[in-house]
Amino acid sequence: MASGSKLLAFLVAALVGAVLVYGASATLDAYLLSIIAFVGINVILAVSLNITNGFTGLFSLGHPAFMTIGGYVTAIMSLEPKRKPFLLPDLPAWLATSHLPFLLALITGGLAATLVALVVGFPVLRLRGHYLAVATLGLIFIVQGLAVNLDGYTRGALGLNGLPELTNLWWVYGWMLLTLYVCWKLKHSSLGRTMLAIRENELAAACLGVRITRTRIFSFALGAFFAGVAGGLWAHLVTLITPSSFSFLFAFQLVVMVVLGGSGSITGAALVGALLTIATEALHPVEEAMGFFGASQLLMALAVLLVLVFRPKGLFGMAEPDLLAWIGKLPGRQPTRSGSKRQREV
Amino acid sequence: MRTMLSRVMAAVAAVGLVASVPQARAADPIKIVALYNLSAGGLASIDGPSLNGAKLKAKEINDAGGLLGGRMIEITAIDTKNDLKEAATGAKRAVSMAGLVAGIGHSDTTFALASAPLFQAQGIPFVTSGATAPELPDMVGDQMFMACFGDDVQAHAMAEYAYNTLGVHTVVMWTDNAMDYTKGLSKFFQDRFTQLGGKVLLNDVYMTEDKDFSALVSRLKANADAQAVFASSGPDTAGIIIKQIREAGINLPILGGDGYDTDLISTVPGPDLSNNVYFTTHAYVGLDTGPANVFRTGYQKAYGGPPENAFAALGYDAMGLVADAIKRAGSTDHTAVTKALAETSGYEAVTGNIAFKNGSHVPSKPVAVMYVDHGKVNLKTTVTPKS
Repeated sequence: MASGSKLLAFLVAALVGAVLVYGASATLDAYLLSIIAFVGINVILAVSLNITNGFTGLFSLGHPAFMTIGGYVTAIMSLEPKRKPFLLPDLPAWLATSHLPFLLALITGGLAATLVALVVGFPVLRLRGHYLAVATLGLIFIVQGLAVNLDGYTRGALGLNGLPELTNLWWVYGWMLLTLYVCWKLKHSSLGRTMLAIRENELAAACLGVRITRTRIFSFALGAFFAGVAGGLWAHLVTLITPSSFSFLFAFQLVVMVVLGGSGSITGAALVGALLTIATEALHPVEEAMGFFGASQLLMALAVLLVLVFRPKGLFGMAEPDLLAWIGKLPGRQPTRSGSKRQREV
Repeated sequence: MRTMLSRVMAAVAAVGLVASVPQARAADPIKIVALYNLSAGGLASIDGPSLNGAKLKAKEINDAGGLLGGRMIEITAIDTKNDLKEAATGAKRAVSMAGLVAGIGHSDTTFALASAPLFQAQGIPFVTSGATAPELPDMVGDQMFMACFGDDVQAHAMAEYAYNTLGVHTVVMWTDNAMDYTKGLSKFFQDRFTQLGGKVLLNDVYMTEDKDFSALVSRLKANADAQAVFASSGPDTAGIIIKQIREAGINLPILGGDGYDTDLISTVPGPDLSNNVYFTTHAYVGLDTGPANVFRTGYQKAYGGPPENAFAALGYDAMGLVADAIKRAGSTDHTAVTKALAETSGYEAVTGNIAFKNGSHVPSKPVAVMYVDHGKVNLKTTVTPKS
């Protein structure tokens, strides 16, 4: 398919999604809506983690840390100034009086996470091997420790609660579309190809003139931006954020989404992210009825093992299956135009 | 393309079908949601009895013919699992229930702050049974009511009791830095205690998840002049603190607030170590009034044992307050119920009379000072605030 019709397909899909979001917002109750919003947020997280872990082949566990940073910064930025002196006495005057609209607050939160990613990534990403996994694991605990102990800025272990309920389905949907679009564009650009080249063979990529460190830091920082935004969305959906809201267990859940979906496959990460979120939520009543808490985690671990044994590359590998073509093909088995029939390998 | 379109249409139709629930009718039950930590954490030891108390009150009202001409009270309990996120999403689930009249619940300020604002945003009244920060109604808004006294009242009562009756003039203070309740309680205690002329030798802090208090114990030992330790703790750590202080051979009086009103203070250290502990809680044990006796016998009959602690009585009172307001409002309309709640005066509750005076949503109620001896909790005295 030509790139023009690809864009058209994306726009059509986005429009259909918007109609569904409109229908859901108008008819479903707040609880179901918040579950759908969690699905969207997890898709943003899985797809953005895919930039580092899938495209560039780094192993980052840093998403919970970036979400915490993004969540706190967004909350502090968008909180009503009259509540701030009471909650956060140590804020400097310019922060205590600032009251940004939600969009700007989210972007500020994302940029704050990006900044931290740059600071951490600059020394760590010059090294070879799995240093990033260790460093980002440490980062989760450092950020948590800071959030607990910077009492006057974060309200300590109590966290910030009673945040305005700003996140709705439209915000989540919009950011999800942006994340998907940016990742799609990235994967099919020359920058994305250099990332994939680094993943496949670092030395060969360097020989071809790819600037390894710069590209790695870029991919790490871009993922952190979306994680920061997702943290802000989460905080204003749940209406609170505490230092322990995003634990390192959450990092593993996100890694599982990327691995199951296929490292490097945007479609895979998004689909598995959505499915796993719905499955854990749907399994809650089952767990409660059986009195077997933790069953959902067990099933998830089992699924990971099975996929690693039978499909080591994940559900889709690197590929982006043409879902629209699949849907059209299912009922009548009509012959499709050449090109859309086969999975498009990158 | 046609098949794809029909799929989308089917999805939209399914979404619409789920949402088209029939509207509530006039003779429907009066729906009340109770948010409590039931399955996890130390708070479950005081939240569980609260829910039992609330259910008992609802049953008594229903047995007597219900409210508003025969409508029954229906309590839906939501378990918040000792997790603030569950408290917030649970509140979200509650306020989206069709025909919800009011919410009750929580024995901890931090949890009340996570869920009550969502009720406030929808204009639905919320009565907390045991979250005691006196600033709660100011922080949440006009839909927030308390069935219990504020921490200022109980902390002042303990400060006065310690200084005047026990003759304690120097204390070491421990505060759980991860709870709004413990931080507020310590602040109010210190204010009153120093005002009386007492001296705080050391302010030590810890976190709710802490299990090892040896560092705090050794700093307590280093302050040989201390005549008591005021350990501002929730139910999670109260028992552990008593155990580790006593195991270190320190026999100073341990003072605390209503976070100690749980069986964990005798089961965790064991009856031999659970000694010389004073704490304040919600008065009902010492009250020999009509409602208190009705409550005691009713609870014994329904659950096969005496009320575990004062929080059972508070749950009973929170439900009673809401029912009383619905009765006076003559409807289940949120605005009318909130207005009736705010006008509550002289409601005869198990834990003392409740009146919301001068626009305040915090009742002024008596405080019970309890003494623990070999794991047995006894009433020392009941203090009634002057105001």
